[in-house]
Amino acid sequence: MHFLEWLEQTGFSVWIRESGTVWSYPFIIFLHTMGLGFLVGPSIAICLRICGFAKAVALGPMEKFYPVMWAGFWINVASGVAMLMTEATTKMISPVFYIKLVFVAAAVWMMHLLRTSVFHNRAVLEMKSLPMKSRMMAGALMMCWAGAITAGRLMAYIGPGSTPK
Amino acid sequence: MNYINLFSKWLSTTPLSDTVAASRWIVPASQIVHFFGLALLFGMAGMLDLRMLGVGRGIAIGEFSRRMLPWAGFGFLLNVITGFIMFAGAPNMFYHNRAFGYKMLFIAIAGLNVLVFYVTGVARKVEALGSGDDAPWSAKVVAGLSLFLWVGVMFWGRMLPFLGNAF
Repeated sequence: MHFLEWLEQTGFSVWIRESGTVWSYPFIIFLHTMGLGFLVGPSIAICLRICGFAKAVALGPMEKFYPVMWAGFWINVASGVAMLMTEATTKMISPVFYIKLVFVAAAVWMMHLLRTSVFHNRAVLEMKSLPMKSRMMAGALMMCWAGAITAGRLMAYIGPGSTPK
Repeated sequence: MNYINLFSKWLSTTPLSDTVAASRWIVPASQIVHFFGLALLFGMAGMLDLRMLGVGRGIAIGEFSRRMLPWAGFGFLLNVITGFIMFAGAPNMFYHNRAFGYKMLFIAIAGLNVLVFYVTGVARKVEALGSGDDAPWSAKVVAGLSLFLWVGVMFWGRMLPFLGNAF
């Protein structure tokens, strides 16, 4: 707990939490929202395509959006860590927060698995209908994003440090 | 006659408004769906915008635009619905919130941008393009503007609790 309190009291955390300028906490949480847009959006597009929607769009070239998605991910890691530091004593002991992290970790892992098993596999890329395993993983990936977004939003309402309505 | 002000005042007297304001779960649930909608809208439309600006040239723009954009539209629809529900919970508060005003303005301009895209025939040119093709300059302008505007919408949306009156 001492470490968590220390995290909350560093100059950086105090500035973010208390400076009152729109460029601290509000801007950081805005970056977090934008990061999720760049990460989850293209991911859903790719998952939908793997599941068989919009077959006229070739799947292979969509791999070019992985750098965009990873950029969104890292923006969220950075903004997430910054926000976490300002509320370390409550968020680091929040079950909802850890549920969110589990969903995000699972999602990122599946994104990587899809890259190796689908995008790097020429035979699979050229199939009319992708293998059931890939389609199930794409479906599961979308569920993980749903879980991560839900848990993330609920952090504001449930668990330590929240402001229930 | 400020019709929006009148509408807000009237809305605040409706049962819908009372229900949303008194409920513990309606606003959180609406917010969760609102974020899905934004991920869909910004993700898909943003992807198309980036493609028009040259990212991921292998993607067939025309087909992507025709097949994936409807999902962006669905995301927008989800957000109009959940947004209205949340607005109804405290219409006068939102009406007087500067960030909310800017958010609506940005959405309106983004909507105009989409209209221009279709009405001036730029969309038709884009839908004829395939893999490896470069989008015309008119499309790039629309795409750049679109990215800026939707990021702006997210920005003002995020600022709602912080700018203007207290939540």
